[in-house]
Amino acid sequence: MKKYSFLFMGVAFGFILSRAGATTYDFYAKLFLFQNLQLFWVILFAAATGFVGIKIMQRMKIKTLIEKESIDYKKKPYTSTLIPGSLLFGLGWGLAGACPGTALAMLGEGKLGVLFTIFGMFLGTYFYGLQMSRKQ
Amino acid sequence: MTNVTIWDGWIGGIAVGAYLLVQLILSGKLLGVSTGFGNVCSIVSRNLFFHTGDYETVNNWRLWFILGIPLGGLLAAVTSGGHIFASFSMGPMYDSVLPQALWLKGLVLVLGGILIGYGSRLAGGCTSGHSISGMALLNPPSILASAGFFAGGIIIVQIMFNLL
Repeated sequence: MKKYSFLFMGVAFGFILSRAGATTYDFYAKLFLFQNLQLFWVILFAAATGFVGIKIMQRMKIKTLIEKESIDYKKKPYTSTLIPGSLLFGLGWGLAGACPGTALAMLGEGKLGVLFTIFGMFLGTYFYGLQMSRKQ
Repeated sequence: MTNVTIWDGWIGGIAVGAYLLVQLILSGKLLGVSTGFGNVCSIVSRNLFFHTGDYETVNNWRLWFILGIPLGGLLAAVTSGGHIFASFSMGPMYDSVLPQALWLKGLVLVLGGILIGYGSRLAGGCTSGHSISGMALLNPPSILASAGFFAGGIIIVQIMFNLL
């Protein structure tokens, strides 16, 4: 699949995130206050749907539709920074009411607060890059 | 703030899961967003980290994917039937706890963004890569990361709404 096609994939994903309620800031506050589990159900049903679909795809040894390549179901490894990183991520997630994908979709909806959040995400990613290149 | 149409959580979840599967079948690539932020860093930075490993090629699917997502948000807003308002409002709950002054609110959100950006690189992924793709694979590190995401979210939101 051509990389440019991912522009349209992004459009589909952003649209779905919005319809799922993931671009509504207050759903994050309500989730972490246990007042409304909308986003919990979204993640749970997304993972469950993916799980069932992937199991079927693996069983049938499905190849990619266009290039007919076998699919690599690559699992992310455990690292020593996974737990502290996930906690820091969570603090930012709750503080800003957005995550990387949803912040981008919110921008398209005209939710301008994410301009700050997205800028911060670039800074955070950049800091990590600086830190890693110093270690080398 | 723009009001958008929202489906029931379980329907939204199935739609996100179906998206993951369609992307896999079409491209063989697992859903993930946060790595793509580094592609944009590659454009402005000569730092070696942003030109090796995941960032060997900058102009790849991840870059186009994150460019498309805002357009998807716009499409969702346009098809929701109401008016689109560009505003810094975040809804009644966040507006009630975050500073009123825009520069101060912006500062808090930049800090939140830094935690998200830095944290997702340390954790090796975000809610898309770990909580959706990784949990769909029942990958233990991804399940652990998702628990960490939730723990962090609960800690900060409980502090913001119940302690401050």
